[in-house]
Amino acid sequence: MTNRFLARLGRIYLGLILFFLYAPILAMAAMSFNASEFYQLPFRFSTEWYERLWRNDEILTAAWRSVWIAVVVTVLATAAGTAASIALFRYDIPGKRILQVLLFPPIAIPWLITGTAMLIFFFGIGVGRGTPSVIVGHVALALPYVIVVVTARLSTFDRTLEEAARSLGAGPFTVTMRVTVPWILPGIVAGALFAFAVSFDQFVVSYFLSEPGDTTLPVLIYTAIRKGFTPEINAISTIIIGLSMAIMLVAARYAKFGGER
Amino acid sequence: MKRFLLTSALVMASQAAAADEIRVLNWQGYGTDLDWAIAAFTEKTGHTVVHEYFTSEQEMLTKLRTNPGAYDVVLINAAYTAQAQSEGLIAPIDSSKIGNFADLDPALVGNEDLNPAGALHGVPWTWGLTSIAVNTADFPELPTSLSVLWDPALKGRVSIRDDGLEAVQFAAMATGQNLNQITDLEAVKARLTELMPQVTTFWSSENDWNQFMAAGDFVVATYWSGSAARSIANGLPITFIVPEEGALGWLDGLSIPASSTKMDAAHAFIDWMVDPEFYVRWDTEGAPATSNTKAAAALPETSFNRAVLGDPAVVAKVQFMKPVSDADRETYLKLWQDLKAAQ
Amino acid sequence: MSGSLARTDRLRALALLSPAYLWLMAAVFLPLSAMAFFSFLSDVPFGGRDWQFTLDNYRAFLETPTYATLLWKSVKLGLIVTALSVLIGFPCAYVLAKVVRGRSREALFLLVILPFWSNSLVRIFSWAIVLRGNGILGSTVDAILPWDVRLNLMFSPTAIVIGLVHSYLPYVILTSYLALQAIDDSLIEAARSLGARRRTILRRLILPLAAPGIIAGAVLIFVPVVGSFMEPRILGGRRGTYYGTVIEDQFVAVFNWPLGAALSFILLAVVLGILALASPAIRRATL
Repeated sequence: MTNRFLARLGRIYLGLILFFLYAPILAMAAMSFNASEFYQLPFRFSTEWYERLWRNDEILTAAWRSVWIAVVVTVLATAAGTAASIALFRYDIPGKRILQVLLFPPIAIPWLITGTAMLIFFFGIGVGRGTPSVIVGHVALALPYVIVVVTARLSTFDRTLEEAARSLGAGPFTVTMRVTVPWILPGIVAGALFAFAVSFDQFVVSYFLSEPGDTTLPVLIYTAIRKGFTPEINAISTIIIGLSMAIMLVAARYAKFGGER
Repeated sequence: MKRFLLTSALVMASQAAAADEIRVLNWQGYGTDLDWAIAAFTEKTGHTVVHEYFTSEQEMLTKLRTNPGAYDVVLINAAYTAQAQSEGLIAPIDSSKIGNFADLDPALVGNEDLNPAGALHGVPWTWGLTSIAVNTADFPELPTSLSVLWDPALKGRVSIRDDGLEAVQFAAMATGQNLNQITDLEAVKARLTELMPQVTTFWSSENDWNQFMAAGDFVVATYWSGSAARSIANGLPITFIVPEEGALGWLDGLSIPASSTKMDAAHAFIDWMVDPEFYVRWDTEGAPATSNTKAAAALPETSFNRAVLGDPAVVAKVQFMKPVSDADRETYLKLWQDLKAAQ
Repeated sequence: MSGSLARTDRLRALALLSPAYLWLMAAVFLPLSAMAFFSFLSDVPFGGRDWQFTLDNYRAFLETPTYATLLWKSVKLGLIVTALSVLIGFPCAYVLAKVVRGRSREALFLLVILPFWSNSLVRIFSWAIVLRGNGILGSTVDAILPWDVRLNLMFSPTAIVIGLVHSYLPYVILTSYLALQAIDDSLIEAARSLGARRRTILRRLILPLAAPGIIAGAVLIFVPVVGSFMEPRILGGRRGTYYGTVIEDQFVAVFNWPLGAALSFILLAVVLGILALASPAIRRATL
């Protein structure tokens, strides 16, 4: 087996995995163009759901809210999470293991319970509902993901690089920004992508903590399930995925965040 | 002149006070949030309406408990009205503020579950049945008995809702018991154990139900009458059946939270929700049955709600659900979880 | 190192750590401690209900075989999904890190996670369209193969595993990628020029160096999958009841927060216990 052959095999494999990852997304997009309200096959082409979506202010407003909340959450969670990861990596902090273990409760305990707990706690201490509370909750749930992912990347980092930079007279801040951060950038980007995904799909916290009328897309979808959501939901999801893909591919064209080599 | 000025000032004041934003807590897509209905209400009264949704009765109560003052109208199933009242969450209804009140079915207005502590705490709004529906294409002859769920020929093509209370009540009906006074829980359990292998999946929402039925995943399943009306209106080939053993009846009321600061607007909204003009149009899109006798009489002969639920022979078979104690709920859930876990 | 330097280090560490951990404290740990408190009560301490301290909720777990059965079923599901995700995801990450070059790598990196910017519920219902008997997969397979096949994966444990592996695969792909990409190619070249075989290079060089990434990904998969209930409920049909389902029931079907909270903390303890047991084994395997 030559290396060329193996490389081609590898690419085919990667293609198959991508196909697997996109299979339900393609089905979702197909159903947004299917006339049946109940995802019924055989397929009959229709743009009805896009037309209805265009007139559906509730979904459009909710989608927009979800996007901007997710962006704010991503920025906050990535910044705070990266800082914490660097500290956990660089300094011998007493109780480091405990700090790391503490990241698991928010992941392990079902979000319904964490969300209910937040609702009761915020109500008990007199913090009202509203968008700030929603963002606080989302960031907290996204943080563990960012820290775990960035830490995974940091563990490959050669400490001597930092020491070398320091011995050349760079201050700690410069070392962090010029040496450490560029090295872990792929980890930060991956953490940010996960943080966005966590916030963008977060139902429970938004459901309990947002003001009436301030709906987000997941809340709309989950509360619509009792009656049944229409393929308008598929239409908006398809548009969001399409737009994100366009933005990301442009970003990939101009930015380098996959690591140096 | 002075008197005239005074009256106009009063009128203006009352109109200013009338331009309220009311907040409604309900299931999504359950009548109160219809675009045209809200637009018509705003045009009539000047009040605007904002919605918040819940996904289970327990969450509705949690939301009421933790958000005093946040809501003005809330939909509460009659089986939960007494609990909400006992926790001080809802206020008595002032029927003089509801113009359509005289037309409401007196039997529903007098329903004891809506009248905890001797006062009306929920305006009866809609009612319906939980029974079974079948795919008409698969049943040349419609079944007449609940035993269709246990028909060996339909193994793997049956579905019931993933709800312990409802499952137990269905089995109670199938074993000839009063579903509000289940005495032989062992018989219920035995009957449900027999049902399990028949079931292909449990459903938990209209979304599951419609998609699974449309795809042929199951052909007979328990269902809600209001949802059946909507599924039929949306083109699913199904028939809703009230079998000889009977059907579960439920009643939904509209209540006003005790902490609401917009009582007048809230009453006005409830008045619009029981208005025949609203209901007759809602019925064309698929609605549960109305509490308003005039609205019911105004329906076309072919309407599902008139043809099926208006039939006295059907009404005679309905067993209305009474409130269930926490302890009983937990017992039923436990039984249900045991059965599901054994699969 | 002088004491003062250590102190500035400590201050720096504190400054870097406190935003994240104070945030977690205020929004997660304190609320969850309230839940932990509830789990030792007989009823919730509001709404005018009578309550006292009790261990009954934890005892209920021990006395109810159903809970233990379901927890074991969920743990097994977690292990299967994690193992499959690692087996499928690691080679994919390897190709991405070591075979793909240039700009397309950035694009692929992003494409791996993009499906997760869609709503999970919509995604699960989309899987239903693909997996059911007369659905997309069944029809395609039937059309391709010359003989009559009836492929119906819907409402089976297989469907649950497919749905969950799909949902969590990106974690292990990306975390493995992060570690693999950091391995210097010249190291691999050196090993090869010294005559090491591919399998040896993989076992002695690549896997140990990529271990932190694989482990991080595996943990991020295992921990939430054990408590999952949405995918099992919709895709698993009659057999879709798991431990997460019975926790949720305590909040949705009945009003028994104390029991729901106790079941959640038992879940947390078991998950942490498994991670603790696994960590020496993992460390040995990667040395």
